[in-house]
Amino acid sequence: MGHPVTTNPFIIMLINMTVVFVVLYGLSLLIRLIHVIDPTKNAEEHAEAAAVPAAMPAAPVVDNSAVVAVIAAAVAAYGCSEANIVTIRPAGSPVWTNTGRLSGIQNTVN
Amino acid sequence: MEVWNAFIVSIASVWADSGFTGFTIGNAIMIVVGCVLLWLAFAKEFEPLLLAPIAFGCIMANFPKTGFFEDPGVMLAIHYGITNEIFPPLIFLGVGAMTDFGPLIANPSTILMGAAAQIGVFISLAGAMLLGFDVKEAASIGIIGGADGPTAIYLTIKLAPHLLGAIAVAAYSYMSLVPLIQPPVMKLFTTKKEREVVMEQLRPVSKFERIVFPVVCTIVISLLLPPVASLIGMLMLGNLFRESGVTDRLSDTSQNSLINIVTIFLATGTGMTMSAHDFLNAKTLEIIVLGLIAFIGGTAGGVWFGKIMYWISGGKVNPLIGSAGVSAVPMAARVSQIVGQKFKPGNFLLMHAMGPNVAGVIGTAVAAGTMLAMLS
Repeated sequence: MGHPVTTNPFIIMLINMTVVFVVLYGLSLLIRLIHVIDPTKNAEEHAEAAAVPAAMPAAPVVDNSAVVAVIAAAVAAYGCSEANIVTIRPAGSPVWTNTGRLSGIQNTVN
Repeated sequence: MEVWNAFIVSIASVWADSGFTGFTIGNAIMIVVGCVLLWLAFAKEFEPLLLAPIAFGCIMANFPKTGFFEDPGVMLAIHYGITNEIFPPLIFLGVGAMTDFGPLIANPSTILMGAAAQIGVFISLAGAMLLGFDVKEAASIGIIGGADGPTAIYLTIKLAPHLLGAIAVAAYSYMSLVPLIQPPVMKLFTTKKEREVVMEQLRPVSKFERIVFPVVCTIVISLLLPPVASLIGMLMLGNLFRESGVTDRLSDTSQNSLINIVTIFLATGTGMTMSAHDFLNAKTLEIIVLGLIAFIGGTAGGVWFGKIMYWISGGKVNPLIGSAGVSAVPMAARVSQIVGQKFKPGNFLLMHAMGPNVAGVIGTAVAAGTMLAMLS
């Protein structure tokens, strides 16, 4: 092992924090650059746009009346009338949201 | 009579070779410490997967005359894996395979919170030098604030190997105590209004971005800081296994079997460094206190940078996610989520906190690499 460049803790702090910030800021710029040059970006957007109309016709086929009745009863149990219910729609379920919900439920239960 | 004499001589020989003749009060104290750690692991469930092997290693390290580190065998092999920087990069391989970099890629500005949280490392470094530790020892103590066990072991082995036991134990102990240490600091430095900020849903991240980022990150950091190339390289390799979509078996092995095996070796080996001779001294106590200061400083640094981003963004960033910048993946991000939900049920910060959390892992490795370049 050689000798340390400096033994002044404040200079070490200054140099290190500068390096850490510059490197991580550089990475954030690279992440933005990767997003800009991403050749699949437009293709995925088109694929998502195309997928939505295809899924639409399937929705009316499902009979959700029982689910709606149960939700309406649950809401009514909290003192609201059915007139207060404007719409009932399925929530989007990305993985992170589900994880957050599960975490919230566990915290409540525990 | 001859039989009796032979019996007495044999018994005396067994006694002379037994561990009891070399057993000290210090060994007894450390065995009690090991038992308390076992109790915390099993009864209180404080990170049992880490604490249980550390505790048992601590108990085993205090049996005299075992020759663990002199004679070839499994204990020497485990010790070799720790002292030759084999286990920390393998742990990083598993961490990379388990971690979703998507939130960081979707919101790259949160990466700076991971940088700000490294301030705890250097507050503790300065404190250690004021207490009389030399600069290499102080750097090893300070890295506890990175809340990254493998990096702490990696740096300590290179700069101050004689402090490995105390530093590894402090690092892993505080990592397991993240849910107790961080919330008071987070509440102290934020207002109710800031804690209730609901952040916007992140954009979807394409497969191209998920694959290119680890490759680019490895190239940039390895060229800039070669001493930590193995840590960053293995982290990113594990993530590539996860994201490529065609290496599921490698990803599965990295994030399950392999990381579990290496954790057993690394944690047991860490515990094995806790012999009374090396551990029972005033320096250990100072290291544990300095480690706590580093942890609190890092949490405060991340939260304060979160507040700066809150002001700059016009109230769109919840400063609570800044505390996740201290690494400890994914525990620190979960703490941001839990604290955020306490003040606003239905507020899901977990995904947003994963950005600074991942950045904290990279930031701690960069800080370690910079200190290695400056001090070794």
